[in-house]
Amino acid sequence: MANMDGSTKPLIIWLGTNTCAGDMLSFLNAKDPGYEELISSIAELRFDYLLSASEGSDAINVLDDLQKNHKAAYILVVEGSIPTRSNGLYSVIGYRNGKAWTALQAVRELGAAARYVVAAGTCAAFGGIYAAAPNPSECVSLQAVLDRKVINVPGCPINPEWMMGTLNHLIQYGEPALDDDNRPKLFYGETIHNLCQRRDYFDNSIFAAKPGEPWCMYKIGCKGPVTYADCPVRQWNGEHLSWPVKANTPCIGCASPEFSDGSVPFFEHLPDVKLPGIKVTANRVGQLTGVVTALGIGAHLIGSILTGRFAETLKKDLPRGSKLKLRQRLKKIH
Amino acid sequence: MNWKKQRHSGTVRLLHWVYAPAVLALIFSGLYIHSPSHAFGFKRMDSARKTHAVAQFLLLNSYVARVCYGMKDKNYKEIIPNRKTLKAIPKFLKYEFFLSEKKTKYPKYNPGQKILITSLAGLTLVQMITGMALYFKPLQRAVKPAGGLNRVRWLHYLAALMTASSVSVHLYFTLTNSLKKLKSIFTGYA
Repeated sequence: MANMDGSTKPLIIWLGTNTCAGDMLSFLNAKDPGYEELISSIAELRFDYLLSASEGSDAINVLDDLQKNHKAAYILVVEGSIPTRSNGLYSVIGYRNGKAWTALQAVRELGAAARYVVAAGTCAAFGGIYAAAPNPSECVSLQAVLDRKVINVPGCPINPEWMMGTLNHLIQYGEPALDDDNRPKLFYGETIHNLCQRRDYFDNSIFAAKPGEPWCMYKIGCKGPVTYADCPVRQWNGEHLSWPVKANTPCIGCASPEFSDGSVPFFEHLPDVKLPGIKVTANRVGQLTGVVTALGIGAHLIGSILTGRFAETLKKDLPRGSKLKLRQRLKKIH
Repeated sequence: MNWKKQRHSGTVRLLHWVYAPAVLALIFSGLYIHSPSHAFGFKRMDSARKTHAVAQFLLLNSYVARVCYGMKDKNYKEIIPNRKTLKAIPKFLKYEFFLSEKKTKYPKYNPGQKILITSLAGLTLVQMITGMALYFKPLQRAVKPAGGLNRVRWLHYLAALMTASSVSVHLYFTLTNSLKKLKSIFTGYA
């Protein structure tokens, strides 16, 4: 289907919901192809919440036109989580006919008519930071409000190449191979831990004791072993210069579905145990278990000795010769 | 004529001596993997991980074999607590907490042993599922309701602590309760 200007380039809508805009800003740093090449020769970015020159009804009318006249011809990219409280009024993307058009309505309407729907960043893919406890706006992931498949490209922010690669794959070859969380296997097929440049330090138990040290970050809470992404080999940004561990700070698991509630505390190996009125670290739980077990066994042993049960067991079960020796020893003690 | 009563068959003893060292190796290597310290007997993560990997396969195989043997021989009935076991718990606890001097005789295992062994079997199952999910990506679908890999990791750690605690209690009672019964896990006869 030809576009409004007669071209046949694929159309892209980049919608911002509850977002810090970090994903779009990261995406602008893409290289080979870069953002300029994308909009000049690969696709047409018909709407972008951050870069749009127009505003008000001029901008919203573009979305209306795409939804009505370009059904199944555009890719909807959503950046940010979707607030559902008060019918979505915690995120309004514009006004239509004088009424607030909430992000919740917009993604449902635009998502229903899109060819592909892509969640850019962890907030859109899994809820992310906006959906973290106590989640006052009741934010959810894009998939939670759509009854069609959403391709998730998580990260906080996304690596520009994850998104550029996914968009190009969709345009040129269709849907890429996805994992169980609908992430392209191309970028999220292996753990950060297995790809890490500091893996040798891990294997040889050379660990950093605090951020800033040039060793394996495992002991200070690195989530690399439970995070699937190719950060260590791809690195940030378009220039492939660095990534958190290379900058001597642990991976916080920002591309994981459980981020951020399931990844905190960032500088602890495991999540804390939260019970009503109590919060303890995993290590403290381990220490307490050890102490309680030792005290329990010790108390029972003392009880057995004092009540004579222990001596009785030995007397009853030991061979005859041993029993005599034991009896002599017990006599000596008494 | 052999007047001694057989307490543990050869298969039970063989499997016990495969999974017992495997569990101990898994506890120590697992605690090292959780928090690397020489106190757990390893110097390098690499050797702890290799030990963990070998021990997990030994445990997995012997566990499956023990379950199959238990089903075939129907000796699982001696282990899994039933209604009778639950009724016997107060009396058993009274004796173990030194509130009563009368020791009750049980057919093979007392209620405490039954609960402990069944708990260990359950914990081992949790460990196998969570451990495998952390090890193989295709199995992560099975643990999705847990809420993410970091939470699976936490469950694995919690189950390991409970296993270590249960094993300590098991060892304590084995060594102090009855020497004849202790001997039977080596010789088969009490």
